[in-house]
Amino acid sequence: MPWKQNYTISDEIGMKDSDIRWPDCKRCCFSVVVDLSPASTPSGITSADLTHPTSLFGITLGLQNIMQLLRRFGLRATFVVPAVMAEIYPDQIKAIRDDGHEIAAGGWKHEDVSVLSAEEERDRIAQTTSTLERIVGSRPKGWFSLPRQQDAFAVGSVSGATMGLLIDAGYGYMGNGLADDGPHYWVADFARRKALLTLPYHYSCDDQFFLMFPTEGTGLDRVIALKRNWLREFEAQYRRGRYFSMTLHPKGSGWGHHAEALEQVLAHIVNFPGLWNATGAECADYWSATYPADTHLRLSASIWQDHEGSLS
Amino acid sequence: MTNAVLANEVEQLKAAALGYEARHRPIPNFVFPPGVRMAVNFTLDFDAMLARRLANEPPMQLAKGEFGGRIGIWRLLEMYEAHDIKVTIFTPGRICELYPEALRRAARAGHEIADHMWEHRVPADKALEEDHLLKTIAALERVAGRRPVGTRSEHTPALLRREGFIYNSSTSCTYTPLYQDDENGMNRLVQLPVHFAIDDAMYFSANWAGSKTPAQRLLDPDEVFEMWWSAFWHQYRLGGYLNFMLHPFVSGRASRVDMLERLIVEMKKLPGVWFPTCEDLARHVLSRHPA
Repeated sequence: MPWKQNYTISDEIGMKDSDIRWPDCKRCCFSVVVDLSPASTPSGITSADLTHPTSLFGITLGLQNIMQLLRRFGLRATFVVPAVMAEIYPDQIKAIRDDGHEIAAGGWKHEDVSVLSAEEERDRIAQTTSTLERIVGSRPKGWFSLPRQQDAFAVGSVSGATMGLLIDAGYGYMGNGLADDGPHYWVADFARRKALLTLPYHYSCDDQFFLMFPTEGTGLDRVIALKRNWLREFEAQYRRGRYFSMTLHPKGSGWGHHAEALEQVLAHIVNFPGLWNATGAECADYWSATYPADTHLRLSASIWQDHEGSLS
Repeated sequence: MTNAVLANEVEQLKAAALGYEARHRPIPNFVFPPGVRMAVNFTLDFDAMLARRLANEPPMQLAKGEFGGRIGIWRLLEMYEAHDIKVTIFTPGRICELYPEALRRAARAGHEIADHMWEHRVPADKALEEDHLLKTIAALERVAGRRPVGTRSEHTPALLRREGFIYNSSTSCTYTPLYQDDENGMNRLVQLPVHFAIDDAMYFSANWAGSKTPAQRLLDPDEVFEMWWSAFWHQYRLGGYLNFMLHPFVSGRASRVDMLERLIVEMKKLPGVWFPTCEDLARHVLSRHPA
């Protein structure tokens, strides 16, 4: 039995609050993630998704509203862009880049890669990387596998090969991990100590599970629950000096009164002194240099055993 | 003919219901130790990713559970200790191989380590069930330095009694502690009631217990605070009992730790609130209201 395979992805004990330092004595890292994928199911982006009225709203007015809010509060965000969206809407993507935001990869078409062969997945990662590089002008440093509203699980999906392939493809970080609420290392290969820095994500701070959820027409709009999750989590993370991240979808948080709710939340957050508003890549660069895996990924000697009569 | 069939059906259903009821031995005029008006147990079901693994869920679901072992348990223990509260950690045996440091630390600080099955299931095969329970007892004893006396499980009561267990915490049939027998009216154990309305996962954990994504209605800490305060206040007025069923991977999230802390601060403003471990409470039941 090698390591605690099929149970854990990282070390046994996470970093303590008191061990975390941010650049320039900042107190808390604040990350805004904007997902530009209109995919609603594990199949990834389809023509039906793209021709849905609120998808059109999302990539036009919704996106403009979000960008305007970010500009107004002087915030820089990480935009998660599936390669096909960059092909379809290159002007929008360049405008986002020109506003100083990061463009991270959101897969080829934000499909569930767990059903692909490793070879197919490698090809798609390569194709995604080169497409974004051609359109954006630089290679993406971050990769996200965010959940879709109609996924089986509200956490995002990867295959057993994904993390190793991303490391091989030169990615600097994975954007959505749930094993920690600060940056941490996702072990792709225990024997070779191959690991990828992972930034935290949680569905309780992702607008898609509150706004018009599960789908328009049958969904509920639970703006108050979303706002309170954002505010309480931010305040708790700020007090701990850790990391707060919110995940936005322009078709949701960019819409009229939703955008006003977001505005109120951002206005509250930016008043806290000592925030480090970093893009995913900036945070990953800082963390990898300050807390490298060589010294800070503490994999214990395994006492994990195989037992007859129980799961391996 | 039809009437006889229907009458027989009633007899069968009646036997099932009354037989079940007869296994429960409520304790009339239940009293707490002097000066105590109400008891509150904080229990941590420390499954981490085991239940997700058992259901063969994908990697990110496991990582979500892993949070409980890497971060959540440590953070919760720190918060409880700041308020001088000892909790009961219901621990699957295999967690001792995954997060031994967290459990050792908890035991050293005086928290109770209790059984929550070997890998979060009770095998139907009796020999394997016994094997799982014995493995768990040995594993918990190794990290805690003593054998567990409590469980949150559907383990066979005779087996539990034989191995020295004194209580189970797994029924929602009433508010205050009671006794529960097995099907043969034997192997009596203290029962410390819980209720799924006081289970964090219902409100905060997406896709809990196989629930489908479209069915999710995630709540926020403020709304849950209101509900749990109401549950506490109801029992406080009655002089009763409340058992919080918390999962470190759920309640160890920063905003929820803060919410629990707010609850504790409010509870402590009232006189007569006792925060024992489940074992402390079970031993009180055994001595003050012997079986």
